[in-house]
Amino acid sequence: MGKNPYKIWGPALVVLVVGLALLMPSLLSAKIRTHAPIQLKTEDGKIINPLTGENADQPYSPRQTCGGCHNYNEITKGYHFQQGWDRVKDDFNKKKPWVLSDGMMGKF
Amino acid sequence: MTPFGFAMAGDPKNPVMPGCGACHPGGGGLEFDRDGKRYDARLQAEPQLAQSLDGDYFKSPWDKTGVVEADCFVCHLPGYNFKDRIKQLIMQNFKWASTSASGIAQVTGFVREGQTPAVQYNKRLFNEDGKIYLELSGPPPSENCTFCHSFSDMRKRGFSWNDRINHDVHNLKGMGCADCHWSIDQEHNFAKGDENVSTVRDDLDNTMKNCKQCHEQGFMGAPRPAHLSVRPNHLEKLACETCHIPTLHRAAAEGFDVTTGTLVNYPKLGATQVGANFDWKPRYARKHKDGKVWPVNNLLPTVYTNQDKDGIYYPLYAREIGKGYEKIKDKLKDKKPGRPELHTPEEIKLMLSALAETLKGNKRFQQIRPNYHKGGQIHSLNEKDEIVTAKDETWCGEGEGFNINHNVAPAKLALGANGCADCHSDEAHMFKGQIVTDIFGPDGKPTYISSGRLIGCQPWAYYVNQFHQTYLTPYVSIILLFLVFGLVLHYTGQGPKGADFTYEPGEILRFTLTERWTHLVRMIAFLLLTLTGYIFFYNNVTLLRMFFSSPSSAVIFHWVAGLIFLGASVVALAHWAKDARFADYDKEWLKKRGGYFGGKDVAVPAGRLNAGQKIFFWLTAGLSLLMGGTGILMIFKSSLPLTLNCLISTIHGFFAVIFVAAIIAHAYLGTIANPGTWRALVDGKVGRKWAQKHHSEWYKEVAEKEEKE
Repeated sequence: MGKNPYKIWGPALVVLVVGLALLMPSLLSAKIRTHAPIQLKTEDGKIINPLTGENADQPYSPRQTCGGCHNYNEITKGYHFQQGWDRVKDDFNKKKPWVLSDGMMGKF
Repeated sequence: MTPFGFAMAGDPKNPVMPGCGACHPGGGGLEFDRDGKRYDARLQAEPQLAQSLDGDYFKSPWDKTGVVEADCFVCHLPGYNFKDRIKQLIMQNFKWASTSASGIAQVTGFVREGQTPAVQYNKRLFNEDGKIYLELSGPPPSENCTFCHSFSDMRKRGFSWNDRINHDVHNLKGMGCADCHWSIDQEHNFAKGDENVSTVRDDLDNTMKNCKQCHEQGFMGAPRPAHLSVRPNHLEKLACETCHIPTLHRAAAEGFDVTTGTLVNYPKLGATQVGANFDWKPRYARKHKDGKVWPVNNLLPTVYTNQDKDGIYYPLYAREIGKGYEKIKDKLKDKKPGRPELHTPEEIKLMLSALAETLKGNKRFQQIRPNYHKGGQIHSLNEKDEIVTAKDETWCGEGEGFNINHNVAPAKLALGANGCADCHSDEAHMFKGQIVTDIFGPDGKPTYISSGRLIGCQPWAYYVNQFHQTYLTPYVSIILLFLVFGLVLHYTGQGPKGADFTYEPGEILRFTLTERWTHLVRMIAFLLLTLTGYIFFYNNVTLLRMFFSSPSSAVIFHWVAGLIFLGASVVALAHWAKDARFADYDKEWLKKRGGYFGGKDVAVPAGRLNAGQKIFFWLTAGLSLLMGGTGILMIFKSSLPLTLNCLISTIHGFFAVIFVAAIIAHAYLGTIANPGTWRALVDGKVGRKWAQKHHSEWYKEVAEKEEKE
């Protein structure tokens, strides 16, 4: 006489269902999007492949790596990157001549 | 500060606190010089630049450190190791910072220590084709934003996010930074709110939805508030944040002192340190842009400037201030280490004299006139080398404070949720809260000002208004109840004064049709004013919802009824002023107290109006004009100073209670206390016996007139 299949499958299914329920919020998290695998590149555009050792002693370059698909130059015009650097002018503020831009780079 | 100094700012012995570069994600000025060339490439081509006075290259080994390219992972990689980024930048590993802090590799060695860093990638993260797999987040997780913003904004506003202690209702609902501050263009500029202090990129102000826009449109499921218990003028004059951010629970900075040449932060007084778990309430300020009252934190800095020949007050660099301090620090006795807290004229003179000496020969300036700015005052040395103190009207004395927008409380914790007394009571912070104006005042102790003064309410006006909330509102019902009790007691004890319900031949006209209509209009308008006034007096939302669609409609109804009442009162004045003039026989009426007391049917002389009615007439005429005058002013209260508003609203409320009490007594006397009197205001006629009994002198005049005719 074989073993009762309910006794075999029951506890395992309970564990599976409870486990899925606990993990569901993170599984359904809409904000985390899986990014396609990324090819790291050095700052002069060479491929980094730690598995083959190719340029594996070099730090990766965001400009070359991310910039391959995303418009790095356009994105980095934003305030968080420039922080006023692109707007620095000697006569930016005549009442406060030490203020050269409306960002953190160019203030005292 | 040079761009290189900006990138590596921080303490190498304790590379934990972010300098400038750590909070800068890279790119821009950390990648390219002012000519748009990469620092590392240009310095390799022109190594002599490092020895030049070119600020972009002066003593800046970009060729060894590399540049700080924009690090996408700072924002988009959950779990990014921000502390490691701080360390890498302080240790001048610029081009290795992203590789190390993202956790994809181990970086050993520091440029700052003369080494060439080595890289060891974590192979487990890589696929067989050599590509790396990372779980990136499109909108940046809030935790990544707060790498920088919790640190910097905590000082300015006490703002934190994802914080059980310093909660925000939006955060509790699962919202993140990027839900409001989303990317508004291809340049990754983020939607920005409305900033009081002009700090950065004012052109981006108001690019995000404000409270009203989200909550009126139901954006992202935002609930639409009814605000039924809130006076419409409060919604016009107060920013949403004023009521909805009543308290913050992390200590912001109260101010800072740079006297030693090092920035010393002072946390909110009573807190152990900036960011500590500490309850404090905002300061309130009127924003110039919209005139509304906003919650702010007004940092109180000590600033040193030099007034140059062009009249401009130039801020002194920390190192310039530090040189002056070095000369005097041994002369400052009884001071805590690193906290000189200069406040006496002698101490201030010592420091300014030292600066005048150390600044000599400073090529930045054509004249040396150092100043010390603190607590809204400027201290300077005059020609006799004496300290002169004046109100600080330079740029250092400006400022509305950093506005507070985050850490919004749930609606049930907002100001007003427990009624008007949340702000208009003896203990309320809105007017009576003590706000620090100087961390170390003339006696070395903090100086304070009442919160209400900062929003334009003089203390005396506040105390007048407080009377309304503290005494009038709670006790008015019981006062009126005692009045009714007294009237009932009079009715049961003294009984009605005669009875005349029967029509009789030859009745005489007491009130004309115009007079009766005037009385009717006044009466109806008064009832409506009482109903709406009661709703306002007690903020009675149940009655409000029963009769009106919104608080605004109740207010408008009150205005219209008030204007009609005022107009009818003027007409009544014209009708009855002549009859209300006092005559000699009124003395007897008053002496016998109108025959209302004693239980006997006493004959009292009276004209068309008896002495009591005359008193009532003049009292209500005065009250009508007073209520009308203050009421009309209150229609325009949004254009009036707060002090005047406090005053007139209290006068209006106080005399409204007296008016209602007078009318209750009048209604009693005009109905059940004198049966038949009411008829005079319906058909205008009274019986001759009634007239003879109640208005003997007037009846004589009528009889004489009839005889002549």
